[in-house]
Amino acid sequence: MNNVLRIVRRILDGVYAASGVLAAMCLIAILALIVAQMVARWTGEIFPGAANYAGYAMAAASFFAFANALNRGSHIRVSLVLNAVPSSVRWFLEIWCFAIGAAVMWYFTYYAYWFTFWSWKFKEVSQAQDATPLWIPQSVMVIGGGILAIALTDHLVHVIFRGDHRIRRDLVDQSHGE
Amino acid sequence: MEELYAITLFLFVLFLLLGSGVWVGLALMGVAWVGMELFTTRPVGDTMITTIWASSSSWTLTALPLFIWMGEILFRTRLSEDMFRGLSPWLARLPGGLVHTNIVGCTVFAAVSGSSAATLTTVGKMSIPELRARDYPERIVIGTLAGAATLGLMIPPSLALIVYGVTVNESITQLFFAGVFPGLCLALMFMGYVALYSRFSSKWNPIQETGMSFADKLKNSRFLIPVLCLIFVVIGSMYAGYATATEAAAIGVIGALVLAASQGSLNRSTFTESLMGATRTSAMIALILAGAAFLKLAMGFTGLPRALADGIATMELSRFELLMILMVFYIVLGMFLDGISSVVLTMAVVEPMVREAGIDLIWFGIFVVVVVEMAQITPPIGFNLFVLQGMTEHEMGYITRAAFPMFMIMVLMCFVLIWIPDIALWLPENMRQAPGG
Repeated sequence: MNNVLRIVRRILDGVYAASGVLAAMCLIAILALIVAQMVARWTGEIFPGAANYAGYAMAAASFFAFANALNRGSHIRVSLVLNAVPSSVRWFLEIWCFAIGAAVMWYFTYYAYWFTFWSWKFKEVSQAQDATPLWIPQSVMVIGGGILAIALTDHLVHVIFRGDHRIRRDLVDQSHGE
Repeated sequence: MEELYAITLFLFVLFLLLGSGVWVGLALMGVAWVGMELFTTRPVGDTMITTIWASSSSWTLTALPLFIWMGEILFRTRLSEDMFRGLSPWLARLPGGLVHTNIVGCTVFAAVSGSSAATLTTVGKMSIPELRARDYPERIVIGTLAGAATLGLMIPPSLALIVYGVTVNESITQLFFAGVFPGLCLALMFMGYVALYSRFSSKWNPIQETGMSFADKLKNSRFLIPVLCLIFVVIGSMYAGYATATEAAAIGVIGALVLAASQGSLNRSTFTESLMGATRTSAMIALILAGAAFLKLAMGFTGLPRALADGIATMELSRFELLMILMVFYIVLGMFLDGISSVVLTMAVVEPMVREAGIDLIWFGIFVVVVVEMAQITPPIGFNLFVLQGMTEHEMGYITRAAFPMFMIMVLMCFVLIWIPDIALWLPENMRQAPGG
């Protein structure tokens, strides 16, 4: 039983890390697209749809990084009450937070899946110059949202059985968002 | 009457979720869902996905991760040492002496970073020990640092202004330029306070600097010149209309990489750290924006923004009175929420109100940023206070008291902005429009 848990743990951590790396690559892709667009403009060429591709990369960079950001404590929450209450109350409060968070994200993922499915089924294509089949970029919502939902559930289970979540805050890391 | 119950329930859920510590972005989505279920018969899930997809795949938003990345790269260079060494010879002779390195240093770093806490860390890392060694009063060292670091949110690039621009659909470039003069003005006011303090305080007795020749001064600050060039290129390219905010950010990232490489502080680990850090921070903000986009839609259906705007209109508040109410409102809100969350959370309601009152949205962006900046240095959750507490090991109360004069100066700045709106509006009105906005 313990072995199984350890393997699950390792797979999950691998998924979070991999999606984080994927998100970082999307960020580099945004940079590359924008530079390409600028260079194209200066040399009198046109790079059709660059803005749209950059937008898709933006969505991908965000959604793939959600779970990674959660695990590193980057996502902002109002911690005033959490810090003020005794640890027994805090345990219930943490369960409540992770349960709500997980519920919201599972709901999101479910609808994102059907949204993407229909856009694949009806072969929806971007109205802009890029003419991308929309289900491809839209699927990042399903994958990224799903991974965040899994991560939240993972922490929820951890809080219930081990008493605490596995989020480690990093003040320096967090300071770049304030 | 039923309407009123629904609105009360909606607001109750909002405060419950946010207050109990659900992550802001997810809380906003949850609240919006409740609002949609209460006030419409639309298919909620599908509406939610359509709205969130549209908002999170927007081209305007791409400036956000790039500017964060640029700040992250420079944060990991030798910039903080260079900053103190390069600025101190020039500022030592001013009344107030080296305390001014705090303020000028923050102003310079604010021009490469969009975040206030990162500005604080970068400048404070070096200036706190150096100023302590020279016997400057601790209180003014900490106070000025806490206050001046908030310039990070005001001087372009500014994360808060990008978020505001995306939320209310105004040009980010224009907002950036609107922030320049108010930011500099605020910096000058901080410096004036330091000068006065040095004159009239009995505790002011730092070790005097020995004079330096002009050549020595230049030699000491030669490392700062590349950074100043980078700032000039990034901001200048936007001002001259060569680049949009996003493109300027891309130039900034490449410039920062070149700068870090030429200093020898760019290696595999700093590159990965800066990239991963930027990815996480931008994901954090993206989640809040996704939630806020959905909430804005739901808010529209509740009729709350309309009712409030009409209410304000019938009360015949003067513009000044409205701004005072909003100022107090944001200061109170800022005690519980961080700056970016309080901007996106309230804009759905505040925007129609402000438009109704005939207030310029660009100007209002700067006003809001000054007000949420104050939140960074007010307890109980001012983020800059936490960072300073970590850096100096003083207790929270002491740091808060040290920062209080800066808070008052920022309040004064709000009045200056109301009194002379052109401080914010002159520059954006006189710049060239970038291709494609």
